[in-house]
Amino acid sequence: MNNISPEVALHRISPELRPLLCSVVRNGRVGLDSTNCLRVTDLKTGCTTLTPGPSCDRFKLHIPYAGETLKWDIIFNAQYPELPPDFIFGEDAEFLPEPSELPHLVQWDAGNPECLLQLVKELIQQYHDYQCQRLRESSRLLFEYGSLLEDPNYGRNMEIYAGRKNSWTGEFSARFLLKLPVDFSNIPVYLLKDTALDPGEDVALLSVSFEDAEATQVFPKLYLSPSIEHALGGSSALHIPAFPSGGCLIDYVPQVCQLLTNKVQYVIQGYHKRREYIAAFLSHFGTGVVEYDAEGFTKLTLLLMWKDFCFLVHVDLPLYFPRDQPTLTFQSVYHFTNSGQLYSQVQKSYPYSPRWDGNEMAKRAKAYFKTFIPQFQEGAFANGKL
Amino acid sequence: MAASISGYTFSSVCYHSANSNSDHEGFLLGEVRQEETVSISDTQISTAELIQVVEIHNHDPCAQLFSFYDYAGKINEESLNSILKDRRKNVIGWYRFRRNTQQQMSFREQIIHKQLTQLLGVPDLVFLLFSFISTANSSTHALEYVLFRPNRSRYNQRITLTIPNLGNTSQQEYKVSSVPNTSLNYTQVIKEHGAEFFDKDGVMKDIRTIFQVYSALQDKVQAVCGEVEQSERVREKIQEDVNKLKQQIALRKRKTAEEERKLRESENADSHPTSEENTDPSEASSQSRINFHTPPAPERPSTSPNPPSYADLLTQDDSLLSSSSPPTSAALLPRPQAVGSPGHPTPGPLGIGLGLGLGLGASSNPVTTPSSPYLGNGDGSSSDSLDRQAAGQEDDEEDDDDEEDEDSSEYENLLSEAPHLPLVSASVLAQGRPAALSPDGDARGSQTT
Repeated sequence: MNNISPEVALHRISPELRPLLCSVVRNGRVGLDSTNCLRVTDLKTGCTTLTPGPSCDRFKLHIPYAGETLKWDIIFNAQYPELPPDFIFGEDAEFLPEPSELPHLVQWDAGNPECLLQLVKELIQQYHDYQCQRLRESSRLLFEYGSLLEDPNYGRNMEIYAGRKNSWTGEFSARFLLKLPVDFSNIPVYLLKDTALDPGEDVALLSVSFEDAEATQVFPKLYLSPSIEHALGGSSALHIPAFPSGGCLIDYVPQVCQLLTNKVQYVIQGYHKRREYIAAFLSHFGTGVVEYDAEGFTKLTLLLMWKDFCFLVHVDLPLYFPRDQPTLTFQSVYHFTNSGQLYSQVQKSYPYSPRWDGNEMAKRAKAYFKTFIPQFQEGAFANGKL
Repeated sequence: MAASISGYTFSSVCYHSANSNSDHEGFLLGEVRQEETVSISDTQISTAELIQVVEIHNHDPCAQLFSFYDYAGKINEESLNSILKDRRKNVIGWYRFRRNTQQQMSFREQIIHKQLTQLLGVPDLVFLLFSFISTANSSTHALEYVLFRPNRSRYNQRITLTIPNLGNTSQQEYKVSSVPNTSLNYTQVIKEHGAEFFDKDGVMKDIRTIFQVYSALQDKVQAVCGEVEQSERVREKIQEDVNKLKQQIALRKRKTAEEERKLRESENADSHPTSEENTDPSEASSQSRINFHTPPAPERPSTSPNPPSYADLLTQDDSLLSSSSPPTSAALLPRPQAVGSPGHPTPGPLGIGLGLGLGLGASSNPVTTPSSPYLGNGDGSSSDSLDRQAAGQEDDEEDDDDEEDEDSSEYENLLSEAPHLPLVSASVLAQGRPAALSPDGDARGSQTT
């Protein structure tokens, strides 16, 4: 399967069809999983080999759907670009949508660049309905589907893929892909920015695979868009409880949803807490502040003096602050270690309680500095050299 | 279901398709018929197999795409009629050509097919899909074609499409197509020139001529058969006459021999007393006995008035065997020996045949005597060589031979080889049974060594 980059595809396709393909390839996101965009492969021509110039008019479109990838052939005719395309639905030989349900086919407008994309979306919708029909082979799964459908939270954001693993003898299996209605909008922006990829839409998808019709083997999996994953602290954030045997989706999904929401809340709260903390320190230590992270509020550096002894204090706030304690690093401005670094000491445990507010923490921190500095000074003089 | 398309229709479709610069479609015209094959095998009395045969005679290409359906795939019946006109009733399927695509019915094709099935009223409408695949550098192009019958179950949709006479025709017969010939020109020409080849019944003239030759030959063969039968009967009659004459000869010889013996006995009886009388009569009697027991020699005195025919010889042979008497039976059977085997001039086969009643001659060729060559010249001396093998029986043989010689001279003209016969037969006999000798000291038997 030759993977063609969008630019190459656009270059090879017949000029009249280019706008249609452009919108598909550049902006085309269908379905819940919008992190995977539509791919185009196997670009071929329907004209004679003597036809000059880019004349490709048929290709394979890869569409992510419910955890599977649909490979549909789309057939145009370069000599008649105004005509609507034909489709071959890959291995789904029985999928035959009703043309009346495809308004963009019936009123095909080749001048509208979005026409193909819209048509594909309509086809996906029909495909979804077709898969839901297939769920009827298993009453258990049909029940699951029905119950989810009724819930407004999930009913409209569902993709189902049902069928036999092996078309002859395999077990009937189904996969539910649900978009979790978790609000990620309050996640601080700074957390979301730090990704190399285009973050796209922030989405959390729960994929539940039923390997058999009796729902005895169920495998749930959580997919988060990269920025969310990063914001929530990496892949450890993807730990979700196992599907309870004998349970139903209608109970399980809200559970996962809640878990995720809690986590998000926690992260949001953590941000605010950190902000509060830093603000408190700023007000308490005023001119002693050297620098602080004004975006994520994760760091703070203070330059303090005690009895003519100047020292630096670096404060590192963890992600799950205030649950986790900030790390204090004391650094002498005079003394060096053998390796040429400034002599420093890290303090992870000191009087602390997550229930204090920012002010209280600042006050307590100040008090702690006063008690700790003498021994730090001694240590610096003893172990460091000027 | 079997399907076939005539070669010229197929090539025409390919031509239209390959020359179009886009996808191409059209209708297939032809007929569908049911064929019932009844086969009989060892395991079953008869099995009847009913298959549907689809024959594609012609095709009707559409000038452009979407000519009879709209964007949604809905067929416009008027457009369909204007394309098909009066050929509508001959439509058995439709075809589509598309380059570089999979061999699978597409979305729109399926929709159209359903509607066509209904509109045309053909329950088993077929769909022929052509797919043209070219390699990247355009060096190789492949035309693939698959015939579908989409109205059947999902797993049984593809049918093999055969193109008659496309293949190795040196090993297969050239199949005549059952496509009806609708060409007016063809009918006209055949009408004009047909009379030279066909007679009024529509049978080729050459066939009749050959048949006549065959009949004539058959008649001749029948006639010859009759003639052969006739000649065989004549021959049989002559054979009988010959046998009778031989018997008479033998009888006469016997009589003369007896008379001579009586004369000698009477002379001996005068000169010698009892002992010789004892021996001689015994000798004579033994001779007579011996002579009696050697059937195939016609001049030997035998009780039977007529010389036995071959069949009789055989039966006698059996009786001889059963009584374990002197063994000459085997000698009756023809000894397969090559004509002209070394040392033995071939006696005339005819003579031998006559002598033994039937065609023993060819097989009973000159016998090979182990010790001395057979000089078959009709003299008694020739037989001496054989006779000498016998112990103490030479006198009899010589006597016999003399008798034979005497007799033979009388009949030289008729049966020049007759004397050979008894000798040959004797030698044959001699050769036949070397082992079993009667204790009586049978002259013949003892000859065999």
